[in-house]
Amino acid sequence: MPHRLEIALKPEMLDAEGEGICHKAKDYFGIELKKIRTISVVTIDAPLTDNQLDIVQSEIFTNPVTQISSYRPLPVEFDWIIWIGYRPGVRDNPGSTAVEAIEDILGIKFARGEAVYTSKRYCITGHNLVRKDIERIACELLANDIIQQSKIFSKNDWNSSDGIGYIIPKVMLNHVPTVSSISIESDDTLQTISDERNLALNPKDIPTIRDYFLKKDVLAARALKGLSEPTDIELEYISQARSDHCNHNTFRGLFRYKDSENGDSETVDSLFKTCIEAPTLYLKDKKPWVVSVLWDNAGAGLFDENNYYVITGETHNSPSNMEAYGGAITGIVGVYRDPLGTGKGSKLIMGSYGFCVGERDYAGSLTPRLHPRRLLDGVIEGVRDGGNKSGIPTPFGQVLFHHGYMGKCLVFVTALGIMPSVIKGEPAEQKKTSPGDLVIMCGGRVGKDGIHGVTASSEVFSESTPAGHVQIGDPYTQKKMHDFLLEARDEGLITFITDNGGGGLSSSIGESARYSNGCEIELEKVPLKYEGLDQWEIWISESQERMTVAVKPENLNRFMELSAKHAVESTAIGRYTDSGKIHIKYNDKTCAYVDMDLLAAGFPQWEFDAAWLPPERRGLFEPVIKEPREYHSLLLDILSRHNICSKEWICRQYDHEVQGGSVIKPLVGADRDVNSDAVVIRPILDSEKGLAFSQALLPAYSSIDAFHMTSCTIDEAVRRLICVGGKMDHIGGVDNFCWPNIQYHPVKNPDGKFKAAQLVRSCRALAEICLAYEIPLLSGKDSMYVDGYLPGKYGETHKVSALETLQFSAVSVIENINKCVTMDSKIPGDLLYVLGTTRNELGASEYYEHLGYTGLNVPVVSPGNFMKLYKALENAVDKGLVASAHGIYRGGLGVHLAMVAMGGNLGLKVDIGLVPSDGADRGDIIIFSESPGRFIVTVSPDNRKDFEMMLNGLSFARIGEVTDSQELVVTRSNSRKLISLSVDDLKKAWKRPFGDLI
Amino acid sequence: MSDVKVLVLAGYGLNCDHETAYAFELAGAKAERVHINSLIDGNVRLDMFHIMAFVGGFGWGDDHGAGVIQAVKLKTRIGDKMLEFVEKGNLVIGICNGFQAIVNMGLLPGFDCNYTKRSVALTFNDSGNFRNDWVKLKVNTASSCVFTKELDKIELPVRHGEGKFYSDEPTIKRLIENNQVVLQYAKQGGTPAEGRFPHNPNGSVNDIAGICDPSGRIFGLMPHPEAYNHFTNHPGWTRRKEVIKRTGNKEHEEVPEGIRIFKNGVEYMASRI
Repeated sequence: MPHRLEIALKPEMLDAEGEGICHKAKDYFGIELKKIRTISVVTIDAPLTDNQLDIVQSEIFTNPVTQISSYRPLPVEFDWIIWIGYRPGVRDNPGSTAVEAIEDILGIKFARGEAVYTSKRYCITGHNLVRKDIERIACELLANDIIQQSKIFSKNDWNSSDGIGYIIPKVMLNHVPTVSSISIESDDTLQTISDERNLALNPKDIPTIRDYFLKKDVLAARALKGLSEPTDIELEYISQARSDHCNHNTFRGLFRYKDSENGDSETVDSLFKTCIEAPTLYLKDKKPWVVSVLWDNAGAGLFDENNYYVITGETHNSPSNMEAYGGAITGIVGVYRDPLGTGKGSKLIMGSYGFCVGERDYAGSLTPRLHPRRLLDGVIEGVRDGGNKSGIPTPFGQVLFHHGYMGKCLVFVTALGIMPSVIKGEPAEQKKTSPGDLVIMCGGRVGKDGIHGVTASSEVFSESTPAGHVQIGDPYTQKKMHDFLLEARDEGLITFITDNGGGGLSSSIGESARYSNGCEIELEKVPLKYEGLDQWEIWISESQERMTVAVKPENLNRFMELSAKHAVESTAIGRYTDSGKIHIKYNDKTCAYVDMDLLAAGFPQWEFDAAWLPPERRGLFEPVIKEPREYHSLLLDILSRHNICSKEWICRQYDHEVQGGSVIKPLVGADRDVNSDAVVIRPILDSEKGLAFSQALLPAYSSIDAFHMTSCTIDEAVRRLICVGGKMDHIGGVDNFCWPNIQYHPVKNPDGKFKAAQLVRSCRALAEICLAYEIPLLSGKDSMYVDGYLPGKYGETHKVSALETLQFSAVSVIENINKCVTMDSKIPGDLLYVLGTTRNELGASEYYEHLGYTGLNVPVVSPGNFMKLYKALENAVDKGLVASAHGIYRGGLGVHLAMVAMGGNLGLKVDIGLVPSDGADRGDIIIFSESPGRFIVTVSPDNRKDFEMMLNGLSFARIGEVTDSQELVVTRSNSRKLISLSVDDLKKAWKRPFGDLI
Repeated sequence: MSDVKVLVLAGYGLNCDHETAYAFELAGAKAERVHINSLIDGNVRLDMFHIMAFVGGFGWGDDHGAGVIQAVKLKTRIGDKMLEFVEKGNLVIGICNGFQAIVNMGLLPGFDCNYTKRSVALTFNDSGNFRNDWVKLKVNTASSCVFTKELDKIELPVRHGEGKFYSDEPTIKRLIENNQVVLQYAKQGGTPAEGRFPHNPNGSVNDIAGICDPSGRIFGLMPHPEAYNHFTNHPGWTRRKEVIKRTGNKEHEEVPEGIRIFKNGVEYMASRI
């Protein structure tokens, strides 16, 4: 008989969660509620004595000062009740910490199958609420039916002695694990089975797979192990390894690029090799600070003589699109395992985020699974809990709204770590497995979670996408594992480490076994969350918070000792061999036996046709606009646009100072409310060195040309670093591509060839700019298929594809953090400079978007000229001549002058007639053009001569000064005032859309 | 470097152990990060130390009330050793999650030398959300707290979702009368925040941000002094730097304000061992 404890805040106390739900119900649906009281329900499915129940009730689950509780339903006033609990098999973090606490205080152990389940009961009061309102709150605000179940009770439904009843979401599979062999008599049979089992095998791979399993010697070798036709576990292994997510078939594909302008055509064999690998290897030779690139879970650069920093970036789009909170928390916690699995292991020191979603107030007729507003709420909370509970600062991030992300949202997560350069005399960045090493799985247990996650993220989202791969990350379990593994690393116990992410053990063991050239796994040893998983499920499950570690047998005892000390589960599940085979057994019976080199063996390269149509040929042109007269309201309206306005509410709920090394924070200025260009941390507390980090995201330009989208994105990330004190001679980059499907199909993807051409052009720009700026790509990932099919008003569905999107992350080492600067104007009387040339480049600008145009003149980067200016500014900052430095980004000069003024709470007197320009001969062009390569800098009058000397011969001008009037005053060649606005007005407009959110 | 030894708790999801140990080292002590289990199984003995630091983080994920499970575990396993430690005249500091933990253990407020009674709580912020921001704090100079000697106001970051200090009126009244209220959230210039957001970031009753026991040797606070261990931690440092440059004064060679709290504790113990 289970026990159900209900816990609530004392009636006199404010129920903040309940209040929050009331607000959202009103804001989102216009439903007026009087009050919501939240009741936490803890259902203990274990035989405890009355005395034991009293102890856990009073000692663990009830705070005598703030809470009341009862094993009977609490008599809390309501008109309606919503109960929400997890579905079977969904990660219940509070449930498992409750078990830990109960076992600890009572000195007992829960038997297999016994557990604690947590859920919530919301007691809602309000005038004439109808069931429809309550259902809306339950389904569109509180519960996501993919992971949660809910019940609604009216006053009449409710029985005050039974309450919600006893709901035990226990997984019971009653299934005997079986290995089934799969017929490969013909390509068609295998294709059919692939579709049935959701293997997502590429049709072109199928002949190769069949050829392998039909080879005489293969058949003979398999026969000795009692195998003939391929088993399900073997095909799942191949499917995982061949998926676009793991194998990057698109970036390694063959592109036939055709330029319809000049009829030129060219064949590109692997964008990865030509545009990412080649430039990076070239720069690695040139830059001694590049430590490790292109092979490990993250790239490594030199921080100081004793330490390397590591960095990588990921996306977690498909899961977040279905379950925003679970997808995002799993994404951030997951990317944190990459640095942990880099070299012999790195300590996590920073994370960042990027969210791309549909318009927050979308009111159109398309009905995505989750409304963009709810989706954004969910991903924000997911990254918040994942980052904060990991004890890793999240100081930087971006949010972008665009209709194209209605089909599938983007959730970018980036992670930085640090490792000592040497561990016990061994280079820390190197690792390998050797025959005889034990294969150890650490951390969480394995369940059905995440099965086919990898293959699903390699597909367009549709109703048929399996929801099974939606999970909830567990930062608590992972933080314990993180601390444990770093201690084990420092004792020299780890010879190889990698994470279990996409593909689970299949990927982590498959990849680590390449070094020793084989492995033998005893699958029955893998600890499971519940019985009844098939062998193939154990092998590919993506259950979170797991690392795969290679340990020498002689170190096993010490390794396990430390594991126990940190309360982390570790299990030896096999050993590495040099047999040349992946050999998987279950209770001594072989269920997989394939050659290590199978995957290298001649799988066909993916092929794409890419047809480029220049913007003019696509009918794009510059709109015909006469110069506006109302610059006041125009600037204020643009400051209020969702892609420009303040998003302080997000930054503030992310811990950006934990670990004690915060130098430049996400929000800076006199009132700490304006976004910094970049962030700086001091990862080694007793060192004055720092790491500067920035990101940029400019998909709008893709609507004209993804080449310039890419170069402008990289240029912005670089300028952001320079503004805080970054150095041009040490910039590491991370490229995260998110692209719509590029495989042409006359019906399903008619513009596939164009999107493919955009990708080729984007990669060319990446290579060109990275070579020019000398940015090695320390890491990078691609996520294709950012498309979705959304139901419309009339039962029809619409394919919605995202803009071609690149998030570029840049990192630089700061020699002396005390020299860093921020973007806010500092002291009245300081001189105001604009650096760089303003051109007539309003194409796809915020200004044109605001007026409903795309235009043609997309901003163009000319690295040669820009570099000189960046180096000069870098020196000026280093010499301490600069009081503030801020890049001119999206929105142009007007918006970013406003930022500098708001940052300092000081006025600016500006004559835009003085702005260095080339073909920008109109007020609106100068104020809103988004030409790259530009900065706004303020300088103390005392430093004027030295500063101007440093910029001698470069494009710059003094355009005004900082004033104590708190007014932004913009004139043109001393003619009439174009703009005269107080800092308060600017802030009001900039904070209007989201200023009330917390 | 004094002979003062500090035990900094670690493990089970705590996460400010590195910087807290660093802050104590800067303050002149020898600090050791010790896993909760090493303390429980006796591999590390509490009586080897003079100061015990409960640090920030998310012990056990804070799933059943911040700091609750940590408190239960330590109370059941080494509760007696902790009380001995306190009775011997040593110091205890609890920061953020650590404050939540020692409040749930009953080490605070410690009325009538009862160090096991839970009579105050740190509960959910009124805003309903986690918040990271810098706050101004007014220090009660009349309090006996050894950690805040010679401080009258201080700026520190808060980073929590459950920092609202709460208790019944008599308890609050008694805390104030005993001068056990050490820190209060304040506005510019040090006047009390009077519950105003964001000055008072969580809705704490009477703007209470930190309290001590009657002896002043046990101190708990929500803000993070260890996160102000360097001039560049302060959100306004680049503005200050500009002023300093132009006036030529050398303000930022002083000890960072956060470190002064640890220094006070270390110096207090140094004079007693």
